[in-house]
Amino acid sequence: MSKTPEYPAMKSRTLTLTHDIPISKTKTYWEGLKEGNVHATKCKKCGEIYYPPQVDCPHCLTSDVEWIQLLEGTLETFTQAYLKPQGFTHYEHDYIIAIVKAAEGVKVMGWLEDIDVKVAKVGMSVKITAKTMPDGFPAIVFKPRSQNKP
Amino acid sequence: MINYRVSGEYMKRVAVIGVGNSKFGVRSDATFPEIAFEAIKEALEDTGITQKDVELSVVGTVGSRLYEMYPAPLINEYTGFTLKGPIRVEAACATGSAAVFTAYNAIASGYVDIAIAIGVEKMCEVDTATSTAVGGRGCYLSEFHMFGTSFACYYALFATAHMAKYGTTEEQLAKIAVKNHYYAARNPKAHFQREVATETILKSRVICWPLKIYDCCPISDGAAAVILASEEKVKEFKAQDPVWLEAIGFGSDTGNLTRREDYTSLRSARIASETAYKMAKIRPEDIEVAMVHDCFTIAEIMAYEDLGFCRKGEGGRLIDEGQTWIGGKIPINIDGGLKAKGHPLAATGCSMIYELTKQLRNEAGDRQVPLKRHIALAHNVGMTGQYCYVTILKR
Repeated sequence: MSKTPEYPAMKSRTLTLTHDIPISKTKTYWEGLKEGNVHATKCKKCGEIYYPPQVDCPHCLTSDVEWIQLLEGTLETFTQAYLKPQGFTHYEHDYIIAIVKAAEGVKVMGWLEDIDVKVAKVGMSVKITAKTMPDGFPAIVFKPRSQNKP
Repeated sequence: MINYRVSGEYMKRVAVIGVGNSKFGVRSDATFPEIAFEAIKEALEDTGITQKDVELSVVGTVGSRLYEMYPAPLINEYTGFTLKGPIRVEAACATGSAAVFTAYNAIASGYVDIAIAIGVEKMCEVDTATSTAVGGRGCYLSEFHMFGTSFACYYALFATAHMAKYGTTEEQLAKIAVKNHYYAARNPKAHFQREVATETILKSRVICWPLKIYDCCPISDGAAAVILASEEKVKEFKAQDPVWLEAIGFGSDTGNLTRREDYTSLRSARIASETAYKMAKIRPEDIEVAMVHDCFTIAEIMAYEDLGFCRKGEGGRLIDEGQTWIGGKIPINIDGGLKAKGHPLAATGCSMIYELTKQLRNEAGDRQVPLKRHIALAHNVGMTGQYCYVTILKR
């Protein structure tokens, strides 16, 4: 690769952006993650299931939902991330990001664990769980179910 | 699906009368208005008009990696368009096309007769981890916050699904990079000026499996500009035989990737191309040269299929057969594509129009595609298909 010539530059003043994101309406979801559970919402009027969970139904224009727990599903696609963005560079493991179709029909994103990326297969069945990372952030975790043949 | 009204019954015909493109790359020699100036100067000189003749400027910039949070008025002022705008637009990686769409509609509706669409992006003033984090925050709360997604990850999810369903291979992905590097090496404005061998690509560092570093476009700085005019105005300028903007189709999809129907195709690209084909009254077979959104190699393979250049699942075969090289059935990204020319987000959509205008005027030199019908297509995707614009040009 040709080396980029160096040009003079000056540093900008630092800007720190950290947000306080309101979770009062989705507290069930965030609290559930701490206990290892992943929830979706279901509109009491039309029955539509929402994941990521939302308390407002845009079809009915109502805000009356029940919380349902997502327990298992099938692996729809996945990738292993070797390049980590700012905020994740302190994690030593190269996490596998996956999308799973839950039995309820909605799809969930999470980390696929307890499996080598080379053994993972689209269509395999997984358990949907959650955990708290040592730095306090939540993570949704998929674990292969025992009936998957290696 | 969705049906946009495409009759164009009440709309004026719009032509591309001038184009400009800065050098793409790590441009630590210049600020974002200075880079915009390069593209705008070339476009004005290409047209033979001045800022005075332009009635409206549309400035597209994603701008999220800049020290300025409201960059458009500064770009507009620096380049001599004060009082002419700007209308600022943002549609992630499709921002350039959103700017062209806005300028096109301003003319087609009769609001103005001459407008400029400018796409500018400065991405290399922050480090790679920061740039990746900003880019990955397309869906912060339900994706990035917990899983550290990046755009490489998003497209890798599509690559895995496409490989599982259609048997697409890492070798086929590598062939896209080989082709686009080959043409970038012949494009003085491209970020990368060198060819790359298949073996080098396959052995290169994995970024997000199955995508390796050579499957990914670089982080680039750059600008491009497109000047559009109504049919009446075209007659007043030296452009005797201009390139016509025949059609521009728009498509969109869910913000959350988890709410997509599948991960092997972009629905927004199918909607946008169907709309554009209908509006231009042509079929995919009529296109003679195309620029498609190859931010990652898998994206080019999906584009072949979504645009109807081959059947679903046969994108890998199209590159295997060499059909998208010059001399093949449909030459694609013969300027190097996003993959090797570079992808300064907002500049990309305007840069596609730049290259196709040069092609349609037979001004593309070594990279000129032999044309008979003179019909070209640009496909510009925002995020992972949250937005898509498909533009058809004709001369």
